[in-house]
Amino acid sequence: MNLSSDHYELKALARRVRAENGLTSARVLQTDLRRIYFNYGIEIDYWPYPFKTIRGAFMCDDIGTTVMLAQNLPNDPMVFTMAHELKHYLTDRHLKLSYCDQSVFSKAIEIGAEVFASEFLFPDHLFIEYMNRLNVKRNLCTQRTLVDLKLQTRTTLSYAGLAIKAERLHYASPRSLTRLKGWRNLEKLQSKKV
Amino acid sequence: MTVGEHIGHRIRDLRTRYNNDEGISQETLASELNVAANTISRWETGIYIPSVPDLVKLAKFFGIPITSFFPPEEMESENSDVLALLRQAKHLNPDDLEELIKYAEFRKARRIYKGRSRPKAGRKSQKK
Repeated sequence: MNLSSDHYELKALARRVRAENGLTSARVLQTDLRRIYFNYGIEIDYWPYPFKTIRGAFMCDDIGTTVMLAQNLPNDPMVFTMAHELKHYLTDRHLKLSYCDQSVFSKAIEIGAEVFASEFLFPDHLFIEYMNRLNVKRNLCTQRTLVDLKLQTRTTLSYAGLAIKAERLHYASPRSLTRLKGWRNLEKLQSKKV
Repeated sequence: MTVGEHIGHRIRDLRTRYNNDEGISQETLASELNVAANTISRWETGIYIPSVPDLVKLAKFFGIPITSFFPPEEMESENSDVLALLRQAKHLNPDDLEELIKYAEFRKARRIYKGRSRPKAGRKSQKK
């Protein structure tokens, strides 16, 4: 299996789990994921002590199946991390241990978890549907488009995640959005207009 | 000796030996842990067993692993493949690795704790 077919299957898995759990929009909440974790018998621990780079960890052994989440994460990264760790439960249980930090993002298994989480929170087909609705053509998606999209959909996929998706689906040229900063400031300005 | 009594003796021992045997009062320890003043006494006498999150706080305060509150034979009876894997992890930030090991120990302690804890003495049923 090559990388792209692997990712294709992970995206299909993400859509299937969404459907099985009645998720239809781009707004996936912590409560949705807590319910899914509960159904799978995964115990969640919000760890109150700070980590330098770790956002979450998946552990599955004789002790049980648990996901540790860094308690101080803001809402969007928390939801993304929960979706990321869900992929480890679904496909990587045999490894017994996975942790989500910046140093392991290059590992295929972690990239796969990122692909799964992105599709789980905001499926590509839904993103394309919104782009069509906003009449955004190929390579013409701007920072403001994504801010409008986030305000309209109230998606929990972060701006970083939306920017990656827009570039990958060719709504923006490579690195035109992912290198940008100031998303929250622009969001405040746009919110006032709305 | 029950697990609760073992934990109680351990807390008392740590408290009285704190800071090169200078010790720390129950009240001060309670204040540090943000619990009621008489809670420490109840833990030490085994009336209450501290919850696992309380044990995490105690472990942090005394700078010891949470597993050290439990009888060694109890800890040895629980296998944790995850802990073994973590002890081999090399590329993690050392502070994060240490914290992750603490979390893995917390899981293990909780496993031992489950089934060992008992209802708190004197707890009244909630009014409807």
